[in-house]
Amino acid sequence: MTGRLKTPLLGPFLAPQPGPKMLGPNERLDTRMRRYPHHQEVDVVVVGVGAAGGVLVQRLARFGLSVVGFDAGPFWDVERDWVSDEKGSHKLYWNTLRITGGPNPITLGANNSGKGVGGGTVHFAAFTPRFHPSDFMEHTLDGVGVDWPFRYETLKPYYAMIEREMPVAGPARYPWGDPHGYPYGPLESGEYANLLVRGCSRLGIRAVAGGPIAINSGAYGDRPHCIFRGFCLQGCKVAAKASTLYTHVPDGIANGAEIRDRCMVSRINLGKDGLVNGVTYLDPDLKEREQKAKVVLVCGYAIETPRLLLMSSCPGHENGLANSSGLVGRYLMVQSANVVMGRFPGLIRQYKAPPANACTEEFYETDHTRDFARGFSIQTVGPLPCTFAKEMLAAKGAWGWGMRKVMMDYNHWAAFGLLGEILPHEDNRIDLSDEKDEYSLPAPRIRFELHENDKKMIAWAVPRIEEIMRAAGAEETAQEPRYAHLIGGCRMGVDRQTSVTDQFGRTHDIPNLFCCDGSICPTQGAANPALTIQALAARTADYLIAQRDLVLQKKKAPLDEPPMRPDLSPPGTLTRGVPPRLNKRRR
Amino acid sequence: MAEHLPINPRTGEPLPPRPQPGYYPDFSTLDQQAFWDAATREVVLKRVTDIPPIRFFAHDPALATALFDRILPQDDRDPDHRIPILNYVDERLSEGVSDGYRYAEAPSDAECYHLGLRGVESIAQSLHGTSFIQLGSREQDEIILSLRDNSPPAGEEIWSRFPAVNFFELLVTDAVDAYYAHPYAWDEIGFGGPSYPRGYMRLENGLAEPWEADEQRYDWEPPPTSLSGSYQPLAGLIPEHARRRQGGTH
Ligand SMILES: Cc1cc2nc3c(=O)[nH]c(=O)nc-3n(C[C@H](O)[C@H](O)[C@H](O)COP(=O)(O)OP(=O)(O)OC[C@H]3O[C@@H](n4cnc5c(N)ncnc54)[C@H](O)[C@@H]3O)c2cc1C
Ligand code: SF4
Repeated sequence: MTGRLKTPLLGPFLAPQPGPKMLGPNERLDTRMRRYPHHQEVDVVVVGVGAAGGVLVQRLARFGLSVVGFDAGPFWDVERDWVSDEKGSHKLYWNTLRITGGPNPITLGANNSGKGVGGGTVHFAAFTPRFHPSDFMEHTLDGVGVDWPFRYETLKPYYAMIEREMPVAGPARYPWGDPHGYPYGPLESGEYANLLVRGCSRLGIRAVAGGPIAINSGAYGDRPHCIFRGFCLQGCKVAAKASTLYTHVPDGIANGAEIRDRCMVSRINLGKDGLVNGVTYLDPDLKEREQKAKVVLVCGYAIETPRLLLMSSCPGHENGLANSSGLVGRYLMVQSANVVMGRFPGLIRQYKAPPANACTEEFYETDHTRDFARGFSIQTVGPLPCTFAKEMLAAKGAWGWGMRKVMMDYNHWAAFGLLGEILPHEDNRIDLSDEKDEYSLPAPRIRFELHENDKKMIAWAVPRIEEIMRAAGAEETAQEPRYAHLIGGCRMGVDRQTSVTDQFGRTHDIPNLFCCDGSICPTQGAANPALTIQALAARTADYLIAQRDLVLQKKKAPLDEPPMRPDLSPPGTLTRGVPPRLNKRRR
Repeated sequence: MAEHLPINPRTGEPLPPRPQPGYYPDFSTLDQQAFWDAATREVVLKRVTDIPPIRFFAHDPALATALFDRILPQDDRDPDHRIPILNYVDERLSEGVSDGYRYAEAPSDAECYHLGLRGVESIAQSLHGTSFIQLGSREQDEIILSLRDNSPPAGEEIWSRFPAVNFFELLVTDAVDAYYAHPYAWDEIGFGGPSYPRGYMRLENGLAEPWEADEQRYDWEPPPTSLSGSYQPLAGLIPEHARRRQGGTH
């Protein structure tokens, strides 16, 4: 410290006074949360209050069902718990033991999954593109992967709805996939976004800046606009970046939902009738407790959802619940997410502004002049110093004086990320290891291997990104191989032999057990998944509500497309922003 | 010791240690602490003032110290402004802070350190007949390079349990996670640091905020005795061995 302390006009910023939780600087969680007695059977238990779980809790509670949402992590008090600091944000990630292996082991923890109310939306970068229509039928079109049990048009109105609930900022016209516009104007760009646009433009590649990202470009209710502090991946203290923690969960609580945080669900319980009757969980003191429910929705994401089904094996379900297909835990996917870094003569200061800003989807679709199927996107990323140093270790082998030297040039570097589709393969999977995690539960074991198409795509894509970086003016490039975005593990489908759930996430085997989160996606295209995951959740909520009479009696309901319930959106969200065009659903 | 100091490439003269190396002289993130939110201020100040004690490495801190002095040298910093890397690494290991995963068949991080330090010592003994800490910096760097290249000349029974290059990655990862989390390092590289609730307003062209500093470059080169100044990517296009503790990106 140099003794030159500068002070704001009104003195240093004080910690919030004792009182209700603060979800950002303005949003105070002051509704009393309803508590359901442990012996009372509730309508629905939601396991995992993340991207999908947050939306489900909100919708079902607003409709009037009794809902308890469990999350293994804390219910964050954003003002008190989160910090503008990389190292101090370690607690946001899923840090209990997982074993990663196979020929191309994926890194987990900070690079993959969150823990706590809001789940992955707490620390996601908030890129929120839609999947392309072709993603829903890639087997029909390209003979690879698998088709979804429905088409893009089925999800389209839900995309439009969630884009308003988050809300998503972006260009007035987004040219790729099903071209559409965004309800809020593009967000101001950091310098690296300018570089992506410049590099692409010089090569005749279309690019956009300012979205689609779920970050407020203007104040939205009690959520302020982005202040460009650049710590999106450490949780947005400003509450400018959408997380179900602020967008959906408070409305759920106001409507009578209970959130039991720091409660790890360890087993789904089955009654003598072969139906699910609730869950067993470890409370914050690791004491085992039970909660009865008519319906259980598992929303723990691509590793924890299949893991929970596998851990719930019991007589008659020796291989895990809902696993008659043997596919629980299989077809796990990530996306190839190599980061290409470029050094520029001028200053960039890549720590300013949200990492997510500009992108191109010009290479998204299958192109028969290339030697692989499907495609990829290119997006801006903005690594902070610790992350960037580790990227330099991988990309340049930097250490010692070399590390010190390249890091002194931190402000001269920009980074673009690949987001390439990895095709589903049965042998990429999670199962249970013999080791125990910190909860004394069997630690999940992940096996991952890149296949031919994936490798060819990476080999083709990385040089394209380097070209763009150089066209933007970089004098040197370096790249780090990595992966992003888990998906799959309990995939949905029409055929019970080849999938775990139906198109609404209901398990084929047990009519009152649903999975609804990233784990049910059969493929993930070359788009970031959170928007799609939340759209799926809103649709499953509509289904549960439409079929509540049968579902709550634990009976198998027909697979009819439910009527959309815009009245269940968080209040006011659908009427803000650019007026929506009527989104007619086509089947 | 002059031979440990970076040099001015034009004169060949060693550059004297300074309180703050890097191209942003006088820039101080800590000076801005009153503009940070209280939670962030507490975490960052605690890191600076409340240095964790050595526990994990307590039985032999000298070897680990010598190793980290080469993995991320700080000879260009005056002794009052060095960042206690070993203490932070020690804290992580003694508190068993986990990253949420382990590679199949790999020992735990604590075990890796126990094995790795023994392995490094056995290389030093077999090549030079003495301990790593007695060696000159060039010899020490040579040993580290043999880890990076996964071709350690001794200690086979150790490296058969986990690859030498993984120990190299673990060392560098831990060193940079400690070093670049420290405000002194932020000042060195011109990173603005915490910025809530104030935020940033000059987003384009790498412009400085009113409270940030402009870059003032100077030429320097690593000390002639060191081998860590050149670069060689760790993996080809396809990762053969994943890296520890990748932060998230997108
Ligand atoms: C660094 C990073 C950047 C990302 N950037 C983007 C991006 O820009 N755009 C994008 O679309 N996606 C992004 N993602 C991915 C995105 O965060 C996830 O795809 C998404 O959050 C998954 O949603 P989910 O509902 O399936 O699960 P999650 O949001 O992960 O929620 C699962 C929740 O379940 C809880 N849980 C799990 N098991 C149990 C149990 N047994 N008992 C109790 N609780 C349990 C967990 O604690 C967690 O809170 C990013 C991810 C990371 C790590
Ligand atoms: S850059 Fe914007 S969205 Fe990201 S954390 Fe800061 S204020 Fe939130």
